[in-house]
Amino acid sequence: MGLSRREFLKRTAALTAASYVGMNLPISLEGEAQAADADSWHPGTCRLCGSGCRLELGVKNGQAVALRGISKSRTNYGYLCMKGMLFYKLMGENHPERLKKPLYRAKKDQPFKEISWDEALDIAAKEFAKAVKTHGNDSVAYYGSGQALTEETYIFQKIMRGGLQTNNVEGNPRLCMASAVGGYITSFGADEPVGSYSNFERASCFFIIGSNTAEAHPVLFRRIMRRKLDHKDTVKIINADPRISPTSRIADMDLVFEPGTDLALLNAMAYVIVEEKLYDQNFINNYTVFRKGKDKKQVSFEEYKKFLSAYTPEKAAQICKGNITAEKIRTAARWFATSEGTMSIWTMGINQRKRGVWANNLIHNLHLLTGQLCKPGADSFSLTGQPNACGGVREGGGLCHILPAHRLVKKDKLRHQVEKLWGIPQGRIPPKPGYHTVAMFEAVNQGKIKAIWINCTSPAQSLPNCDKYRKGMARDDVFMVVTDIFPTKTTELANLILPTAFIFEKTGVYGCTERRSQLTRKAVNAPGEAKPEVWIVREWALRLSKELNDPVIKKCVEPFMGKEPDYELPRAIWDEYTQKLTKGRDNDLRGATYEVLEKLPDGVQWPAPTEEFALTGGTDIKFVRGIDPLADKHASNEMPFQFYGPAHPDHKLWIWLRPQKGPEEMPDSEYPFYLSTGRVIDHWHTSSMTGRIPELMRANPYAFVEINPKDAEKLGIKPGDMVEVTSRRGKNILPAKVYVGPCEGMVFVYWHDMYEDRMINRVTKDAFDPGSKEPEFKICACRIKKVSGPKPLKPFIVQMNK
Amino acid sequence: MKKQILRFCLLLVVLAISSACTAGTSKNTTQDKPSAKHPALSEQEKLTPCAQCHKDVTPDVYKDWYDSVHGIANVKCFQCHGTYENFRIVPDETQCAVCHNQQYLKRPADRKCWVCHPAHNFFVHK
Repeated sequence: MGLSRREFLKRTAALTAASYVGMNLPISLEGEAQAADADSWHPGTCRLCGSGCRLELGVKNGQAVALRGISKSRTNYGYLCMKGMLFYKLMGENHPERLKKPLYRAKKDQPFKEISWDEALDIAAKEFAKAVKTHGNDSVAYYGSGQALTEETYIFQKIMRGGLQTNNVEGNPRLCMASAVGGYITSFGADEPVGSYSNFERASCFFIIGSNTAEAHPVLFRRIMRRKLDHKDTVKIINADPRISPTSRIADMDLVFEPGTDLALLNAMAYVIVEEKLYDQNFINNYTVFRKGKDKKQVSFEEYKKFLSAYTPEKAAQICKGNITAEKIRTAARWFATSEGTMSIWTMGINQRKRGVWANNLIHNLHLLTGQLCKPGADSFSLTGQPNACGGVREGGGLCHILPAHRLVKKDKLRHQVEKLWGIPQGRIPPKPGYHTVAMFEAVNQGKIKAIWINCTSPAQSLPNCDKYRKGMARDDVFMVVTDIFPTKTTELANLILPTAFIFEKTGVYGCTERRSQLTRKAVNAPGEAKPEVWIVREWALRLSKELNDPVIKKCVEPFMGKEPDYELPRAIWDEYTQKLTKGRDNDLRGATYEVLEKLPDGVQWPAPTEEFALTGGTDIKFVRGIDPLADKHASNEMPFQFYGPAHPDHKLWIWLRPQKGPEEMPDSEYPFYLSTGRVIDHWHTSSMTGRIPELMRANPYAFVEINPKDAEKLGIKPGDMVEVTSRRGKNILPAKVYVGPCEGMVFVYWHDMYEDRMINRVTKDAFDPGSKEPEFKICACRIKKVSGPKPLKPFIVQMNK
Repeated sequence: MKKQILRFCLLLVVLAISSACTAGTSKNTTQDKPSAKHPALSEQEKLTPCAQCHKDVTPDVYKDWYDSVHGIANVKCFQCHGTYENFRIVPDETQCAVCHNQQYLKRPADRKCWVCHPAHNFFVHK
């Protein structure tokens, strides 16, 4: 069993193959007791993906000491992933790198200095007021996050729209689920999934496409895994993706296709369903219409069939390449159509595409053709990446074109409703939507935006083609406020850094993927002078009102005056949002009061118009009479399903004719590879949190470039070699991981790493879907070459240089 | 250095055997005390995921885990055993409770979790 050092290193070479520190450190075997030591346990929601796992924080002597799952929660049934069990290490005084004092510098090449909150809020108010007075209302902007609490997103957008009269309200959900929103609205007439996680235990066929569920949503994957293991012969799992991933471990069939050919694959499955008459004629007749084009022209089933003739399985197999054969497509379509209940699941592989909305439509098409909807186990279910992208941003009005409760900015009637509910003059909210994310940072680049507030996210790292946009953020004539808990690549470009409270250090609601709102109450104190965002915004708004001599800004926060910030203030904001803004809307949350949310282990699924109904848990499946109270309310006939979505006046589901479209940038002789990016299970987004937890950092200390063995052999690349990945935008130098993995002709890079040479968004492309404006992170062209053998590497996390 | 690596491998084997024995006889709580030390590693080596080495040096343990529901669901070594600062050969049972709290509370008081759910494969009751 003797192993030479050389052999030892060789075995670890897939990761790294050189030691930069020769020092050996003793390893304690005593360990630390965790859960048993807590004095008290406090329920809340995990903030490290969109699943909405419920957990309890263990607190001892006022400090967070442990986390454990809540068994009664229908989101996770007690299970947590490694991120969920460890993020207590970031709370309170547990982590030395937490931001604890407001930090300011007038110019971006100066060091930061600590200032008081009074000074900080005065500066923020003066700078935003100066921009408005000098350059107009649209020279200011807010860029938020699917990790902010609903109360936070709601009050930020209220001040921006009602107070500062601009719709420059955006957030990072634009980067991850805007195409899913577009898909749901254009296919169903209403945003957000029809069904729930409960379908995981009822489905007989899972169609997973563009989702590495095993790593991006590990606890939901566990449920699917359990379903499969318990029904090995009767439950089928299809995993469609250009890359074999840990999700493939439970798959009966891997459909590996070349990046950007997904639309052809989906149309080909529809072709088989139609050709073999596997569709549900009654469902089609009763609930659907066929449409095409920008003018949404209604067409016949016959025209749809004719359209599909371009996507025979044989033709699609030629387009899709990879391991796709006509027979595989036929088999997948048959499994999909004939199972007792088929559940489709997707995420960024579908959404982050130049034609992400179309890809969403084509998944929905399969369900509408086969009637795999509104029955047990059947759903077309987009997984969301962030804990509150749905609840806070999609529902709370956190994007430039939407107001709270799924109202469109451009609709006069809906805009005026909001103004009336807020008690501000009609016409106060401008009718024109603001800048979407890429346009917003383009406007920063051009100096059109003079003051921007970035909350709880790090666009300097997470934007595609980020070097281009970092130049704008670095401009000295762009005043940048960043609210966050740790230093990030974005705080490096700020003028003013405001330290905020983390989850469990403040109170508020997250709304997860399945329309479920869940409350987390404050359980520990924030470190130093860190404050809840709702307090920060209220105090800032009062100063803005004075600076601009505008009483309407003060009016926006009047209902929240005098409330203590840890519970009463967020509750007042939640009450205004739910009781006033969601009343009568499809996400009616009036029943989901703080009192009700505190009584339930796993919150409430909307629609939930009354407390009595909310206490049952809310709506498991939308549009079904007897389950969804709004389906009964809006019923216009005796049909069991009532598709009352506000965007479809005909109350029909729309089957779309959408042709195959490739990515914006295809490989060519100069850049012959596809580059795709994604997550690893141990890290969350830009790793500003997970990178600061030793267990998680060690589990995945750097980004790698995954290369198919056949490509690696052609290029002489071995595991651990340093490889340069270059696109027309920029380059990275990363260690190679050689395996299958990505399909031939494609490389895959993890996007969490903050180190400049391994920050892959310097390489990705900022093309975006013309409908959803979501960037095509998942596909661009690149070239790769070996630059050296293995080199010692260090993990990297941004530190604060004051 | 070669000696050090040799010692590292031998200790890993001892560690695996020790773990297996402990799992089978752990009604006696004294068995939970670690009987071997994980060898010292450099800071660079500490950036190697546990399974990367253990796949080779404790292949049976690795295989048990890889084929288990923990392996399929990506429940990694450190989630039960901790990392270098808090490493435990035999995890504290409260680590099981992070995900299995109800079962943990209902377990027979005289038996550790792994008496009925063998360490690393977990899937059958003994």
